[in-house]
Amino acid sequence: MNALGPSLAPYIRSSRSLKQLVTPVAYWYADLMGYRQMGLKYDDLQMEELPQVQRALGRLTPREAYDRAYRMKVSLHSSVLHKPLPKEQWVSAKDDVRYLKPHIEDVIKEDEERTNWDNMIVERK
Amino acid sequence: MAHRHKFTHKNHLGQTRNSPQARQLRSSQNSLQCLTTPKYSTAQTPVMLATRASTATRLARSFATVVDTKASGIKVAAVDNGQPTTALTFLVKAGSRYEPSPGVAHALKNFAFKSTAKRSTLGTVRESELYGGVLSASLSREYLAFTSEFLRGDESFFTSLLTSILTTPKFLPHEYLEYVVPVVRDEATVASKTPSTVAIEAAHALAFRTGLGASLFAGPHSHVSLDSVKSFSKEAFTSGNIAVVGTGIDSASLATLVDNALAEASLPTANAPLSSSPSKYFGGSTRIDSHEGPETVFIGFGTTTPSPALSVLSAHIAPSQSLKYPTVSRPSTTITPVHLPYSDAVLTGALVQGPDVKSVKEAAKAVVDKLKTPLSAEELKIAVARAKFGAAATVEGREGLMDALGSKVFSNGNASIESTLAAFDTVDAATVSKVIAGLTKTTPTFVVVGNVQTLPYADELGL
Repeated sequence: MNALGPSLAPYIRSSRSLKQLVTPVAYWYADLMGYRQMGLKYDDLQMEELPQVQRALGRLTPREAYDRAYRMKVSLHSSVLHKPLPKEQWVSAKDDVRYLKPHIEDVIKEDEERTNWDNMIVERK
Repeated sequence: MAHRHKFTHKNHLGQTRNSPQARQLRSSQNSLQCLTTPKYSTAQTPVMLATRASTATRLARSFATVVDTKASGIKVAAVDNGQPTTALTFLVKAGSRYEPSPGVAHALKNFAFKSTAKRSTLGTVRESELYGGVLSASLSREYLAFTSEFLRGDESFFTSLLTSILTTPKFLPHEYLEYVVPVVRDEATVASKTPSTVAIEAAHALAFRTGLGASLFAGPHSHVSLDSVKSFSKEAFTSGNIAVVGTGIDSASLATLVDNALAEASLPTANAPLSSSPSKYFGGSTRIDSHEGPETVFIGFGTTTPSPALSVLSAHIAPSQSLKYPTVSRPSTTITPVHLPYSDAVLTGALVQGPDVKSVKEAAKAVVDKLKTPLSAEELKIAVARAKFGAAATVEGREGLMDALGSKVFSNGNASIESTLAAFDTVDAATVSKVIAGLTKTTPTFVVVGNVQTLPYADELGL
């Protein structure tokens, strides 16, 4: 298991009927989780303590990093107040993009490549 | 990491090499006399004749004809002397004189061998390590060069590796911040702490102001953005702007290899090729305070009309050591000849370095005196021999040969070696004195690096 955790999404997306069946449930569940009501995006919930995620965070543009810190601050404030943000400030499903995921994937790919090179066995032809 | 980063101008110091006189190499007539004094040479005639004959054939072989690749239209030149290793250099006309803003060329140089569409940074290094190859990038004022050296037989891999750097570089933002920027900063810092480099950089800025005057290094205050590097690379990495030079491989097979590598991902053709305004010599004087390294004085002149007499003059005013291992210890003050020929200008002179101001001042005065007094017939003979030997010896080495071939390739290869060789032989006392008169009429380029309070001013040396 890597920093992104196990995912059934690729399998579900590969089948058209399964995708049609699951997508509304997925949207409903994402809303139900409540992080959007605290002003967060899904990628704000990634485990920051992992070294791969740390490297990925370093690759955000300054603007993305600033926005992320701002969302954290807002959510922390609403957590202190024990109530969600007013409805107009909720993060919409449209804005809830995976801004960190591509970077984490890149980092994982790089680590895998390094492992492959490190453990490569050279055969003389 | 197998990367070797270097700046070609460091190699220029103390050596006369690069374009015009590299082509001036010819049969070693006088050049062999350089390590011995002329009077011994007659006694050694039989030996010399034998050496001369063999050197002549070798040199004849070491000059390649320029070939145009069929499909991609890239110029290719190669020399095969039967050595066990092959070296390929992709020369890009993207030296610091072409950069749109300061430091962009330096950053682009350090983006060499980073991620491409084909392989990652790590993959590039590890895969070349498997082949036992060495990758290096270097930047001069005219050219950006990507070089790989490897064993014979691995040509196709390294050609495709070097090609992919030009065709499909990714310029990833995090690689720029993690790998490129720190190295650029470190190289600039090291350069700023080396008095000789500081002096040569300042001399170029004074002599040519813009174009060739642009620094090779991204200074601490030049903010180079990734976007500017990207757009510069788009302009520079075009088919008309690139030449491939190889040693240890023949031109025809190199041309096919380059064509094959470019068949996968082609280079765009330029709408408007990168250009820099023609050089103009200004000259001037500057004093740079520095408390690291030796006290340094650079005395030089620039001109936009290159002539073989200039390298003879440089060999005269700052002769290189003829005796490799002297019995008496050398003075700590060194005089290094500086002769930097470019496509449309030359900066020539001497770099005087020493531990204390007094000895540097004396040595600099001696250089100026040498410049002012006319050459005797004997001195001229020695200087011509030295210049010839220097030119011939640098082309012996791989780097010197690459430079010589490179400039030949870009100037369409029609400058025949024989004509430039003949030009060297026409250097006589009259031409040298004419060149000296022409130079001394212009403003000298005078740079002082070190203790500016006590180091001499140009007029104190009689300039």
